[in-house]
Amino acid sequence: MGRFLLGRLIAVIPVLVLVTAGVFLLIHLTPGDPIDAMMAESVDPGVKAELSRQLGLDQPIHVQYLRWMGRLLHGDLGRSIRNGQPVVEDVGRRIRPSLELALLAMLIALLVAFPLGMLSAARRNTPVDGTGTAFALIGICMPNFLIALLLIFLFGVTLRWLPVSGYTDPLEDPVNGLRSLALPAITLGLALGAVITRTLRSSLLEALSEDYVRTARAKGVSESVILSRHALKNGLIPVITVLGLQLGGLIGGAVITEYVFALPGVGRLVVDAVFARDYPLVQGVVLLIAVGFIVTNLAVDLVYGWLDPRIRYR
Amino acid sequence: MDVGESPGLDLNARGASRRSFLRWCAAASGALTPAVARGLRGAPEALAQVAPKRGGTLRVGFYIEAATMDPHLSGSKIDRQVYHNLYDPLLVLDVKLGLQPGLAESWTQPDGKTLVFKLQRGVKFHDGTDFNAEVAKFNFNRMRTDPKSVRKGETANIESVDVVDSHTIRLNLRRPDASLLAALTDRAGMMVSPKVVQERGPDLERNARGAGTGPFEFVEWVKDDHILLKRNDNYWNKQTGPYLDQIRYRPIPDDTVKLASLQSGEIDVMDYVQPRDVAAVKADKKVVVVDVPSLAQFAYVMNHTKPPFNNKALRQAVISALDIDQIVKGVWLGVGVPSNGPIPPSSWAYDSTIPTEKRDLVKVKAKLAEGGQPSGFTFSVTTNNLPILVQEAEVMQAQLAEAGITMKIKLVDAAALLSDGNNKNHEMISYQWSGRPDPDGNTFQFFKTGLPLNWSGISNPKIDALLDKSREVSDRNERKKIFSDLTRLLHEEASMAFIVHPIEPKAFSPRVQGYEPIPDGMMRFKSVWLK
Amino acid sequence: MASGRLALAGAAVTLIAVVVALAAQALAPHNPLKQNLSNTLASPSRTHLLGTDNVGRDVLSRVIWGTRISLVAGFVSVALAALAGSLIGLFAGYRGGRVDGLAMRLMDALLSFPPLVLALALGAVLGADLSGVLIALGVVYTPTFARLMRGQVLTIRGREYIEAARALGASGGAIAWRHVLPNAATPIVVQASLSVAFAILAEASLSFLGLGVQPPEASWGSMINAGRGYLRQAPWVVFGPGAALFVTVLGLNFLGDAVRDALDPKLRV
Repeated sequence: MGRFLLGRLIAVIPVLVLVTAGVFLLIHLTPGDPIDAMMAESVDPGVKAELSRQLGLDQPIHVQYLRWMGRLLHGDLGRSIRNGQPVVEDVGRRIRPSLELALLAMLIALLVAFPLGMLSAARRNTPVDGTGTAFALIGICMPNFLIALLLIFLFGVTLRWLPVSGYTDPLEDPVNGLRSLALPAITLGLALGAVITRTLRSSLLEALSEDYVRTARAKGVSESVILSRHALKNGLIPVITVLGLQLGGLIGGAVITEYVFALPGVGRLVVDAVFARDYPLVQGVVLLIAVGFIVTNLAVDLVYGWLDPRIRYR
Repeated sequence: MDVGESPGLDLNARGASRRSFLRWCAAASGALTPAVARGLRGAPEALAQVAPKRGGTLRVGFYIEAATMDPHLSGSKIDRQVYHNLYDPLLVLDVKLGLQPGLAESWTQPDGKTLVFKLQRGVKFHDGTDFNAEVAKFNFNRMRTDPKSVRKGETANIESVDVVDSHTIRLNLRRPDASLLAALTDRAGMMVSPKVVQERGPDLERNARGAGTGPFEFVEWVKDDHILLKRNDNYWNKQTGPYLDQIRYRPIPDDTVKLASLQSGEIDVMDYVQPRDVAAVKADKKVVVVDVPSLAQFAYVMNHTKPPFNNKALRQAVISALDIDQIVKGVWLGVGVPSNGPIPPSSWAYDSTIPTEKRDLVKVKAKLAEGGQPSGFTFSVTTNNLPILVQEAEVMQAQLAEAGITMKIKLVDAAALLSDGNNKNHEMISYQWSGRPDPDGNTFQFFKTGLPLNWSGISNPKIDALLDKSREVSDRNERKKIFSDLTRLLHEEASMAFIVHPIEPKAFSPRVQGYEPIPDGMMRFKSVWLK
Repeated sequence: MASGRLALAGAAVTLIAVVVALAAQALAPHNPLKQNLSNTLASPSRTHLLGTDNVGRDVLSRVIWGTRISLVAGFVSVALAALAGSLIGLFAGYRGGRVDGLAMRLMDALLSFPPLVLALALGAVLGADLSGVLIALGVVYTPTFARLMRGQVLTIRGREYIEAARALGASGGAIAWRHVLPNAATPIVVQASLSVAFAILAEASLSFLGLGVQPPEASWGSMINAGRGYLRQAPWVVFGPGAALFVTVLGLNFLGDAVRDALDPKLRV
């Protein structure tokens, strides 16, 4: 296991280098520059030149890249162009809402997916299965922002059950915090729930067709026990994989949800940074998100290997 | 009338609030005599029968996050909204865009190149520092010389600042500049505590604690979440407030969600109601709408420096093919007036005798022929990806198509738009200027040869001369005439398609009282209180 | 069987969508570009079955014409991704060694990039119109196909008939083409059929951020995005394209499931 881990960690390094090169190149290629964006109303060529020099933006592009990489190797992710704050601080502040949102969304997704997935597998190819599948699919057949707006109008404006926008930290104020995250978490959770439902359904079906299940049935074990105890254990593996991957993706990917609900999360940070051409911030955040994704992936692989001894060494 | 005894003001909170609101609106639109209007600022008790209550947190929703808390380094419009509550400028605007004393108690102009300000006494910054002439000088020098200062353009004409005595300063100008006083009502006149600047340095951009003299003090700024201000109980001018305990600004990027937040009671103030929502919001009894005529100018700029619009006839063809009235009616839904030039109707320099451009398909044909493209031509317009601008571009596209001109639409985000404009990398580009109280602010930097914001590349010596003259002359009537001549010349040059002078409707919860809508669109909350 | 019925429904929906896209000219009752500023946001009526939008255009006609663009967005971007990914995966799996290592590291890097940011930035670089979006989405989906293809290649390479072919003197390229590819194609096709639905939805999300077809053309996604400000006063502007999007994506999902069940019952997502 140790060698496996080390091998994977070493393999991660070239990936990260590629990510840094990729994001650097990409954001520097986008038309427009951060100083124009900052000084929207008061363009002054002298000030612009000075700021450019101060921020090192007047250097040739490979020099800028090397400088950034150099600082990176010392653990310095640089400072945001717009507000001069260290990138790490900016991200650190924004991780919490994104993480809370992601976890809450996963919780909702699981609450929806488990009953639906198990029911669908148990009643395969009956109308129950079809309805369950269709219901689950709602989450992934509508654009995110549409679901968000519909929820806002229903629960926020018409029924006034839940706040429409803004963020309160559940760790500081549990009731209001959870209320403020409820609608965004449902928005994300519906889509996630759909994916998990389908994954669970198919993995349960596969598990149910295994030999040991047939043996159990022959021994007279009830169907529900088979489903919940035998099939579920093995059926969980792909679900965990999917969950892990989604979690990694949710942190930086809940952009639209964060935007619509005005949540101060990481997704919104990076998109705003792209719009403002805030190079260090974009580069830093993308790198951090990539690292997070890779780490989560690695963790999932380890859990996967631990759960299913057949696939420990590839 | 006895306060609170009038039968007109009964227990129906909504009705009462609406009525007192409408009074403020009447005042804002100039329906009252100037004397009463001036009296309004100093003695609201004369009109509002209910005495203002202290307390409460005003929750304000904005469309975008602020960029910096340092007024000298600020380049974006939203920052100003917070500044007008946090900092004081030397002069302030009244509802008729007149200049009133701010931190400057009075001012004189002994000659064209000298301005002498007598400063208010007894003013302290939130950190306890005294405000005096030395501080004012420090601020002006900072604006003129700090490498990151964005106020260099506005203060370019100030040669030097002298401290005459502890509360008097003299600005020595390079050239006469009639627009300078108006510039001092905004960021260029805002005073920051030198102690904060020296001790905190660049951190001032994020943390403005103790930095201003305004009716509210900075508490905290959590990026993309909220900015919190609290009442300054030691404010130097307690005549009409401040009353609110706190102000909490929240950026809510999606304006449907912002409106929903107001309607569900999560915020009390909305900075801007989209034209498409205005009718519904006005019909909503739970919300009060105030139409604030703005200083803004929305237009499309054509690039003189390259084809096709280096050809004046083709520019004229495009302008004559557009139906501006239809655009204002169909896209802006009447929330604004067709524009006849860069100067808005709320300005004293507005000349209503200058007609807006009218559609004339016959003229289009003639101009197309004159320009060597009798069967039409194709060009592209670069515009911002905002829903209303997309809609406007689509309508323009259809109008031009009827006249045989093909317009392609290129949507870009704000940073790319600014870049394209500044680098003249466009054929026609959308241009939205939030406006300034002095007509100079809507004209000089856009039409003078060689200036960076001159996105059209226009270079007309007559226009340059008029622009310079408008600053040298101080008599308003004379200046007005100069600006009228300028506008006529601009029509003749046909470098911009002027579309609309928008109205900026703001929406409030009925609890909000005492709001004074000033046409620069800035929301000043000193006199505001919550029911 | 219910699954058979769902598959049929999915196939039918997809077929209808394709037909509508191809026959838009004939099917649309009005010119989708014709504006009428005196009849904006009109509610559904006999002349305008889905009402009109904010500049008076017929929503139904725009939805019909939008089918073309949405389907193109879905199919073309997935085709690009499948093609690029398959080539990369084939090459990597076959060559092995350092080429394989480099290629897969590249794919991993792409995968760990937040997809929306990647698409946004690519769109800004390539130009915000439809072709930019197609390429951006294609790039985002490529790693999935690359990995899939590589995995298949590795599995098949060791099989006996490959050994036999090589023993008989067949060249590497011929083996790849005649033996490896047809067998590896199955999971690629399955994945592609599932991805199309996602790609169509992704296009809608990208239009929210400002990328995609340039006006006055419209995809369902850009119509929903442009109409979301009118959700309360004129919901048909959103629900017309929204329903089309929903039904089509649902149908594609069912179809994808059916393809998967048919081609390889052992293969699970």
